[in-house]
Amino acid sequence: MAQAAVADDVFYALSNATRRKVLEQLSVGPATVSELAAPFDMALPSFVQHLSVLEQSRLVKSKKRGRVRTYEIAPKRFKVAEDWLTARRHLWEARLDRFDQYVKQLKDQESDS
Amino acid sequence: MSKQFKINPKLDFVIERFIDAPTRLVWAALTKPEHLKEWYMPKAYGRVARAEMDVRPGGILSIDIAGADGQEVPNLGCILEVIPMERLVWTSMLFPGYRPAVFDDIPITAIMTMKSEGAGTRYVFTGLHRDEADFEKNKALGWQEGTEIAVDQFVAHVKSMK
Repeated sequence: MAQAAVADDVFYALSNATRRKVLEQLSVGPATVSELAAPFDMALPSFVQHLSVLEQSRLVKSKKRGRVRTYEIAPKRFKVAEDWLTARRHLWEARLDRFDQYVKQLKDQESDS
Repeated sequence: MSKQFKINPKLDFVIERFIDAPTRLVWAALTKPEHLKEWYMPKAYGRVARAEMDVRPGGILSIDIAGADGQEVPNLGCILEVIPMERLVWTSMLFPGYRPAVFDDIPITAIMTMKSEGAGTRYVFTGLHRDEADFEKNKALGWQEGTEIAVDQFVAHVKSMK
């Protein structure tokens, strides 16, 4: 998949409060569907749809043992979000540096004249 | 090609409507996200927060609905069959791109067909379930009622497009 499409999936998956809470819970350790669903006042099929979006984005992965499905974090995809945000931060930092330089230059010109 | 498969009334939810509008408008209302947003979610329940549809076999179907409490629930699936102005099939049993999905959920396959009838269109929505238990669970969760309301909203929306 193209990198932009991967980022679309990742940021879409992160765009919902329920899904972010699930990721927060999974960062503590793997959990089953019913453990993950417990804190939410939501019909199970609706909740499972949120897990589907997370699984589709590959921010999480699941394993089924017998009748119980366990979810865990898949850290690799988090880097997609992290890299995008880092690149934006670098851009803005560089822009602020240039702005800072430019204002200093204006100040110097003013004191020269 | 567009041969119908046998319906099992114990597993399949069928709803049929005559729409007083040409087939091309019915197709547009069914396949364009800006139209889906107008009818997909019963207005008394909430709204469609986000809709994406890549109308080709394997393409994405993604409709996020938001309830009155603002709680958003995604509907994610894969389009299986596209015959413009005739037949659209998608399933929540697969992720987009035919990727095998996790299905602890109640998956459905939805078949929407349309046929010109005079100046109007005969429209049929069929929702297939895995088994009777899934169908019963979906009924209990209000899926059937919601789908009936959505189809009525769909018919009204298509008429307003004329």
